Amino acid sequence: MFEQILNAAINGILLGGVLALLAFGLNLIFGVVKIIHMAYGQFVMLGLYLIYVLTMQVHLPLVLSALIAVFAMAILGLLTQLLVIGPLLEAPRLNQLLALAGLIIVFENLAMVIWGADYRGIPLYLPILKIGNFFIRGSCLFAFLGALITLGLLYLFLNKTYIGLAIRATAQDTEIVKLMGVNSRSVYFITLAAGGALTGIVAAFFTPIYTVHPHFGSSFTIMAFIIVVLGGMGNLLGGFISAFIIGVVTSVSAVLTTTEIADIIALLIFILVMLVRPQGLLGTRGI
Amino acid sequence: MLEIEGISAAYGEFRVLHEISLGVRSGETAIAVGPNGAGKTTLLKVISGLLRPSLGKIYFDGQRIDDQETHEIVKLGISLVPEGGRLFPYLTVLDNLKIGAFSKKAREEFRKALDEIFGLFPILKDRKKQLAGSLSGGERQMLAIARSLMSRPKLVMLDEPSSGLAPKIMARVFEFVRRIKSQGYSILMVEQNARKALELADHAYLLESGRLQFHGGAEDFVKNPYIKKAYLGI
Repeated sequence: MFEQILNAAINGILLGGVLALLAFGLNLIFGVVKIIHMAYGQFVMLGLYLIYVLTMQVHLPLVLSALIAVFAMAILGLLTQLLVIGPLLEAPRLNQLLALAGLIIVFENLAMVIWGADYRGIPLYLPILKIGNFFIRGSCLFAFLGALITLGLLYLFLNKTYIGLAIRATAQDTEIVKLMGVNSRSVYFITLAAGGALTGIVAAFFTPIYTVHPHFGSSFTIMAFIIVVLGGMGNLLGGFISAFIIGVVTSVSAVLTTTEIADIIALLIFILVMLVRPQGLLGTRGI
Repeated sequence: MLEIEGISAAYGEFRVLHEISLGVRSGETAIAVGPNGAGKTTLLKVISGLLRPSLGKIYFDGQRIDDQETHEIVKLGISLVPEGGRLFPYLTVLDNLKIGAFSKKAREEFRKALDEIFGLFPILKDRKKQLAGSLSGGERQMLAIARSLMSRPKLVMLDEPSSGLAPKIMARVFEFVRRIKSQGYSILMVEQNARKALELADHAYLLESGRLQFHGGAEDFVKNPYIKKAYLGI
């Protein structure tokens, strides 16, 4: 039993890595543009479909399909900024939320019209690794390592480049950053493109793990949102830590109970933390 | 260098500036004094493009700038030190200076500008790895001024640099301004603390309720009986 729990904890950490990557994009967009991207999980869903179509129907190699998906999701991010977020930047919060929530309906029904309600996946079998007494899914390990590398590259991008510096500064003071000679509108576009590309990357790592259906995204939007709020909105380190907390909690409690109850436990922990620390574990702060 | 012609500005329905005209000549230090709510901050916001004027024109080096965006105006050579400094608290001192030099031309001269800044304000060199949010009040204002110089401006605008500071630190901040004045920068400073500000001025303007009430050389200005009584307390 103890070994089983430990095994579940390891799997939870692996899951946490990918969740951290997913939450990172949502957090970055919130931190910089001060908007909650309600349709974030739906981006991942579209990315998965795109990889499916390019691989199974256009017969492109999987890696190439994934790269195209990352690029396409970045463009979708740009379009979201241009057509939805940009025009509503000065609008009341509620309007912004409703518009982005509207995108959920657009994307999910679009997927339903094009691909129907079937579950679709690419038959891809990565081995299950046996390390000591522990069993680890190769696809999860691959996704975990990929997510960590991506997060490392993002860290370098934010901390070592001028654009990254402009993004961090914009997150801290949207008005003053203009006085530094930064075109804040370009920063928003770059942020949305980066956030979009991240959903493409997450979709690529999800491809060997999940099958996709039109409502695939909603649970991941909620999951990412919970992680972001739990860590402290806009706090990238907080999001990173809470992704692993949520990953391990859901994974371990799934072994002890069932997957449904595991979600309830994760949400209960979330609610408890919110009651005690409404600002999140590490509090809100700049990037 | 800077020519403002009949600028009016409003926040929504609320008019804050009424047909203000003023100018700053190259190498000159101009001071705008006036009570709280006179529109001094708004004036600087309009010049830097953060607020669009509803009427009037602004020229900088002969080029019209009142329809340009803030980041373009910065590139042309106008920088603003906002009230309270408004540093990026979670960036290091060095990163604050780096972001100050964001525009392409300033980036190319970053090393040179940094050496100059560290020469002018040596404490910042010792503190460069520290987060800006952890600096003391006077150091923050110093960094805010330094950051604004990193864009290689021709005109530096300062919004109430002494506000909220203890008298001793206030004196130091005016000393910083004197230091950058001696470097040959043109300066437009708005201040409530008229007496200290006027010591630095070549030219001064009095703003009251969004209207320009008086302007003149610093000496005429301090001799004006109304200003003497209302703003200098003599």
